[in-house]
Amino acid sequence: MTIGNHLVTFIGNRMVTHKTRQNEAVFRAISDPTRREILGILRGGRHTVGEIASNFRMSRPAISKHLRLLHAAGLVVTHKQGTASLCSLDAKPLRMVDDWLRDYATFWSESIQSLKKYMEENS
Amino acid sequence: MSPISVCDDRIVQEVTIKASAERIFAALTQPEELLKWWAAEGKFRIMQAECDLQPGGKWRIQVAGNCSGEATTSTVYGQYQTIEPPRVLTYTWIRENEDYPETLVRWDLEEKDGYTTVRVTHSGLVTEGLRARNDGWTIIVTLLQTYVERQ
Repeated sequence: MTIGNHLVTFIGNRMVTHKTRQNEAVFRAISDPTRREILGILRGGRHTVGEIASNFRMSRPAISKHLRLLHAAGLVVTHKQGTASLCSLDAKPLRMVDDWLRDYATFWSESIQSLKKYMEENS
Repeated sequence: MSPISVCDDRIVQEVTIKASAERIFAALTQPEELLKWWAAEGKFRIMQAECDLQPGGKWRIQVAGNCSGEATTSTVYGQYQTIEPPRVLTYTWIRENEDYPETLVRWDLEEKDGYTTVRVTHSGLVTEGLRARNDGWTIIVTLLQTYVERQ
């Protein structure tokens, strides 16, 4: 049900449109345990790439790669401060995940009520 | 806006129905039955259903929906995994033409004194990577709640 570049969910009667590519990037970003941990670290405030990397055993380039994916998903924002790059968290794109979960919660709630009605009226 | 109560990456909904578990199990697994009940007025309706009820067997539904007055259709399909009539039914749930991950739906039916408690659990909702069960998921839930509560 892809309409143009957008995706419209069939669940619920409110219009929920998302840019597919952006969704993909967000889902991909949070699918990895290291990236989720990075988001957890940034929840506590801004950090440099070096500070973030010091929490992990993997190499700094590997951490930078994870940060690039988070950045592409819009979950991490970087600011220059002198020679250092400071990373901070932007949780806004997660709103899409929340909308998606909410739609499913509504969908299942309506589905089981519909099942109940059918069962009890036809018994 | 309150955050949705998700623990882990799942949604759980429950209802108690005055009917036997056998009858409800049939309603969940027979195509002609699915067409009769699976709908929410003005929102969505199952238009077509196919069910090859055996482990590994395929199921498919076509859903007619309504987005702000605009008619839409979409297809959802998957494979049956656990079939233990009339208590447990599980199948994968995949939305056609979408990039969302494959998810899992589980129905648990518990009959007592003429009533059956039906619980539906939709899991794997965030990504298949989460199937590896990482604590990291709680971070996402916390972030989500923090974000939503601020709205």
